[in-house]
Amino acid sequence: MKQRVQGIGYKMAMLLFLSLAPMIKGHGMAFYHENGHEFQERTITGQIFDDSGLPLSGASVQLKGTTNGVTADFDGNFTIDVPNSEAVLIISYIGFKTQEITVGDRSFIKIEMQTDATQLEDVVVVGYGTQEKTKITGSVASVSGEAIENVPVPGVSQALQGRAAGVNVIRNGGAPGQEGKIRIRGTGTVNNSDPLVVIDGVPAGSIDDINPNDIESVEVLKDASTSAIYGLRAANGVVLVTTKKGRHNQKLSVTLNAYTGFSNAIKLLEVLEAPDLVALKKERYTNDGIAGDPIWDDPYYAVQRTNWQDELLGTGMTNNIDFSITGGSEKSAYSISGGYFKEDGMMKSSYYRRINFRINSDHKLTKWLTFGENMQLTRRNGNFLNTNSAQSGILWSAIRFNPALPVINDDGSYSSSQVSTEFGDINNPIFTVDTNDSENTTTRLLGNIFTELNILEGLKFRANFAVDGIVKDDYGFGIQVTDQIRQNSVNSLGRRYEESYSLLSEYYFTYQKTFAENHNFKFVGGYTTQSFKTDWFFASKGNFSNEDEAQRVFNSGETLLGIDGNRETIKLASFFGRLNYDYLGRYLFSAVFRRDGSSRFSQENRWGNFPAFSAGWRISQEPWFESSLIDNLKLTGSWGHLGNQNVDPFQYLALINTNRRYSLGGEQVTGASLSRIPNLNIGWETSEMTDIGLELGMLDYKITAKLGYFIKDTKDMLLAPASLASLGTATIPDQNIGAVRNNGLEFEVGYNNSFGDFNLNLSANASFINNEVLDLGDTGFLQSQFYGRPNQEISRTLEGSSIGTFYGWRTDGLYQNTTEIDNDPNIASDERRANGLIQPGDVRFVDLNGDGQIDSDDREIIGDPIPDVNYGLNVSLGYKNFDFNLFFLGEAGVDIYNADRMQGLDPTYPFNMYAEALDRWHGGGTSNSIPRMSTNRNNLNHRTSDLFVENGSFFRLKNLSLGYSLPNEVLNSIGIAKCRIYVTGQNVFTVTDYSGMDPEMGYIDGNLQKNVDYARYPQARTFTLGTTIKF
Amino acid sequence: MKKSIFLLSISLLVFAACSDDYLDTTPNGQATSAQFWRNGDDAVSAANALYEPMIDEEFYGHSEQTFEICSDDFYRAGDHGEDQAIEDFTFDADNSQLRHSYKFKYEIINRAHAILINVPDIEMDQNLKNQVLGEAYFMRGFARWRQHVIYGSLPIITEENYINNEFNQPKPTVAEFQAAIEADWLMAADLLPANYSGVDVGRPTSGTVNGFLAKFYLYVDDFDNAITYGEKVLNGPYPLAESFADNFTIATENNPEVLFAVQSLDNWKTQDYMIYTTPRPWGGWDFHEPIQDLVDEYETDDPRLDASIFKPGDMVDIGGDDGVQEYTADLSSTGYHFRKFASWRESGGLNGDQNIPILRSADVYLLVAEAKIRRDGAGAGDTELNAVRTRALGEGAAISGADMDDLIHERRVELAGENQRFADLKRWDKAGIIDLVAHFQIDRGQFKPSRTFMKPKHYYFAVPQREIDLSNGVIEQNEGY
Repeated sequence: MKQRVQGIGYKMAMLLFLSLAPMIKGHGMAFYHENGHEFQERTITGQIFDDSGLPLSGASVQLKGTTNGVTADFDGNFTIDVPNSEAVLIISYIGFKTQEITVGDRSFIKIEMQTDATQLEDVVVVGYGTQEKTKITGSVASVSGEAIENVPVPGVSQALQGRAAGVNVIRNGGAPGQEGKIRIRGTGTVNNSDPLVVIDGVPAGSIDDINPNDIESVEVLKDASTSAIYGLRAANGVVLVTTKKGRHNQKLSVTLNAYTGFSNAIKLLEVLEAPDLVALKKERYTNDGIAGDPIWDDPYYAVQRTNWQDELLGTGMTNNIDFSITGGSEKSAYSISGGYFKEDGMMKSSYYRRINFRINSDHKLTKWLTFGENMQLTRRNGNFLNTNSAQSGILWSAIRFNPALPVINDDGSYSSSQVSTEFGDINNPIFTVDTNDSENTTTRLLGNIFTELNILEGLKFRANFAVDGIVKDDYGFGIQVTDQIRQNSVNSLGRRYEESYSLLSEYYFTYQKTFAENHNFKFVGGYTTQSFKTDWFFASKGNFSNEDEAQRVFNSGETLLGIDGNRETIKLASFFGRLNYDYLGRYLFSAVFRRDGSSRFSQENRWGNFPAFSAGWRISQEPWFESSLIDNLKLTGSWGHLGNQNVDPFQYLALINTNRRYSLGGEQVTGASLSRIPNLNIGWETSEMTDIGLELGMLDYKITAKLGYFIKDTKDMLLAPASLASLGTATIPDQNIGAVRNNGLEFEVGYNNSFGDFNLNLSANASFINNEVLDLGDTGFLQSQFYGRPNQEISRTLEGSSIGTFYGWRTDGLYQNTTEIDNDPNIASDERRANGLIQPGDVRFVDLNGDGQIDSDDREIIGDPIPDVNYGLNVSLGYKNFDFNLFFLGEAGVDIYNADRMQGLDPTYPFNMYAEALDRWHGGGTSNSIPRMSTNRNNLNHRTSDLFVENGSFFRLKNLSLGYSLPNEVLNSIGIAKCRIYVTGQNVFTVTDYSGMDPEMGYIDGNLQKNVDYARYPQARTFTLGTTIKF
Repeated sequence: MKKSIFLLSISLLVFAACSDDYLDTTPNGQATSAQFWRNGDDAVSAANALYEPMIDEEFYGHSEQTFEICSDDFYRAGDHGEDQAIEDFTFDADNSQLRHSYKFKYEIINRAHAILINVPDIEMDQNLKNQVLGEAYFMRGFARWRQHVIYGSLPIITEENYINNEFNQPKPTVAEFQAAIEADWLMAADLLPANYSGVDVGRPTSGTVNGFLAKFYLYVDDFDNAITYGEKVLNGPYPLAESFADNFTIATENNPEVLFAVQSLDNWKTQDYMIYTTPRPWGGWDFHEPIQDLVDEYETDDPRLDASIFKPGDMVDIGGDDGVQEYTADLSSTGYHFRKFASWRESGGLNGDQNIPILRSADVYLLVAEAKIRRDGAGAGDTELNAVRTRALGEGAAISGADMDDLIHERRVELAGENQRFADLKRWDKAGIIDLVAHFQIDRGQFKPSRTFMKPKHYYFAVPQREIDLSNGVIEQNEGY
């Protein structure tokens, strides 16, 4: 029988396989009876297949109780002599469950081997090697390639979302190709908190140019003892990606994958239609007692013509096709794959493409020398529309563009808000997407070659050399725009070209030995250097007399607008070592040390030491521990130091920018002035991390659970302290002055069982992470990007709370009448009341400091963008040839600042408004939350306040898949080993109270602003149909 | 075993090949301050950098002009929410307009410090050295002058503070702050040449400094000195241009009358105020629209109206395919736009060569006239006032016995939109010449309704709340905020 676990990926889920073992036994073969005769000594033949139906070469077939044995040939065939019908064959192969088969009266035996989850998962990839799973004393989350296979997302980061406790992937909108941000165990710093990504042993930047279908497994090193071996780069956690490799003695196998699907907007916002808009605009003037703009009396603009969101958001399309060829001889094993991923976004004209090609192979040249390589070539290109700005973002514009304007005027031109200043500073969004001409292309070659020497029994030396070369080419042509309100008087072509390459060399020894039978030692130690060189230039020319596509090259531009370029070199050198020791596999201990030097810092402050220790106790291995219920019980603890060097280099130097442009006497001149004040003492950030874990397996591993608690203290956090503007505009260097604490609980539980033909896998994970900023130096807070037109502060990071909390005023409903205003103690001494500037229908702000007036001192934290809990839930069902998978994820205890709604209800701007504005206050008792229509801002009704903080909790069916595998009998006759047809759905439904488009909001300004709704590119609902065929 | 030893030695050999200086890298493309301040070229380069902040959108490109929307000359227009509170005198210390231009003034001060600290030790031509030092003194004074006009007094960061990175300093008294400006400008007046040629045109001259000193002294009611320094300009090589409009025409915008301006060069570094002050369909963003009250101030046939303001019926060449367009009332809420700060390329689009004048001799003429009238009575300033007046209206328009009313009228029409009016009104109020509370109480129509000016609160704007917060109590807020 076939076991299907599509969609299950957790390390824990893999553990669950263990519990299947008893059930699988005995089902792995098909019998071919011949006439019922009993034979005495005779020769029988057989063929061995793996669980996907491919012949398995190299498996060993042994006659039980003897030393007689043979090895299956390239097609899995074997021939062996047996003494009688009671003879038992033992069939074994690494990675598969060993089977014992009684020969009986057969002369041909077909054997299907079952993957041995216990064995395959026996080891996990860790830094500079692997480790037996049972002996892990730190915290590692594993996600199998299977779990993320054929999920219709462009990159691995999105596919990892919700798959493991403590690994949070934050989606920055749904633009094609948009990468997710991975946060491991909270946000450890206000600076770059991206984890180190290591691809097949090479520390390498982006995880998202790998085809998810090329991935064998992803291991996330979460605690200090596992990640400290990467020292200065480990504080944000480490993600180890292992790509699929060929097996030795494996017959060539070809896999083809293809899927195609459609995506649509999950939700559109309701905005005012033209007649209502006119009525509300006029109501403002009536309320203010002023004449108002005559445009609102023009009947043309009272006719609804366009729903701009409908026009902008159409149907997107996702296509993927890839292949892989794997195989291996006794000496060599290989895996070759290639793929093409194509996404056309639902937002008009947005797109993303990825082409990738990979070759992995290894060769056993001699008994003592192995050589191999992994090579990856990727080309990604796409355009990236501006959807991050609350002044010119495309969706932001579509929500606000006047609905009485047609997309295209009768004369064939795009409609324009130049018609009236009452229509706002917005360009026609369809004009913007139609004329957008930009493309970012990234080409990357990541390759490594390694060689391994077996020096002595247990002692190996490995050298690994890698190059990671990336070419980025960003192209943009801005046409001359005269008929829209935001004009561009000079058309221009800009192009940025960047080459970066990283060279890695590493050398290390591994020594493994057991002393006195029960004392097991394993040591890894070595030296590595890595350099990162980046070289870029930017050029821009303007005044293209002809804007034809063919003329959008530099040669056609008349005026050189600018040219810039620079180079940067960063280097790292490191020594590392790890010692593992265990006694009887019961008491476990490890020590890790890394000494890192980074050229980012001055000679005096360059080197740092990063130690970590861990211990584990496998209680279930104790002789006194007897339980028929509990199969595994392990307690672990670890402690260590990690570093983060992801900051601007050379901040110990005072820099002078010599290219400040000005003109004198009508001629170009350049000036020179200080561009950065130096910090002579700058160093990296240090995180101190403590981890406690408990691992449990019960009822033959049908139930598994993991529980973890950690504290991660980031010290010496680099901050450019919010500085007085008396410093001018020079960049303030970072200083090691901040501190952040993340602590939390992580749970993973799984249940796995079979009932006849019916298989059930359930797994769930949750992380409860608390983020607290402990110290920000003298000033005590950090500001973030201000919002849009009103230039409004929304996010502020303060000591004692999480990063990027919402900071603003408290409200207490609206004033319903003048008596309420006159008697309101909140504004007892506010001069605006005396001047009659506060009116019924205005917001009653709360005077927090009790001084009788509403001012900037009345602000406090009004919301937290960091969830109390992140969780994922996976349900997999298998019945005969059908497989069904549901994957849910969610967040709870999180706030969103709905800035788009804040502005969508603000009548003082010349924009269209949310349809909700119809429920505004327009007389006593008509509303207590949506302020009156007015053109003045005396009371700043739409300042940052709790009126616009919403509950951001959500529960989302992220992925659904239903598959059917064609029966083997049908396939074998046409030479196909496996064929599965499936449908998937992404973001199928979402349960949330959030009123905006998408509660998955992401970051806007580094880590400092999160969950603020800027009307970004929303995530789509996607349905795909696909097939996987294996030959 | 032999093989093992062989392999082990190979491994160790490779392993040992680590190098000590591997980590030494240097930054590319930027000079470190240790490599700078070598020669006269570096000094001039540092002086050029003094002016560069001025052209920023958040300084003279727009934000600095925002303080003038309090005046009675123009309506804020545009779509910046915070501007309304400025215009209405309802702003608080958190208003973002208060902080936009704030750091640029300090940046100029810091760049001047760097010159005054480093240039004296450079071996270079003494005249050039004097000029560079003079430029630094002038610009430090200029930045503080703008601070003074807007905030009264702000923290003074001294050269010593700058060297020691001590940027959190208290505010001195207004008088102390004024003294610092005066001292710098007196130094600069001695060091700077009277004029330049070629690529140096646009740098401040001794005439520039004397003109500012005249203004400074008039602001502090020191009429004698205002006249003394003003007359140095009037008697110097800074004659009024033949035509008023020459000052706002690209070909003649650097004529000797223009004592100081933000220099703008198309396709290189351009000012944004031209975008802010022009109609949207013509490529602008439609801010700062003149109101009827200002238009009415002009006498019949005053050519300065045409040169200063677009009004319905004006034919304007905006270049390119659009060519000559008629200015119509619906291009603006008030029916008008300023035309001083913008013109269009022949090929279409706003012409980035347009400068923004900051000080003209005509202003200095009127400063001297005012000082004379206020010191010696009506008629004492006739010569200077008429010089400005007759340049525009012809000899026949000369008046005699000009009093402060005449002077106030002349300043308003001559300098409309040039960021002078609100500051003028405040100092005339302080001097008892007008009553600003009553003046702003007057309803000037939909776009300048009656407003409440509070004394003394609104003599100065609030220090940005951000600075107050960050100073931990070192910086005190201005009165009334």
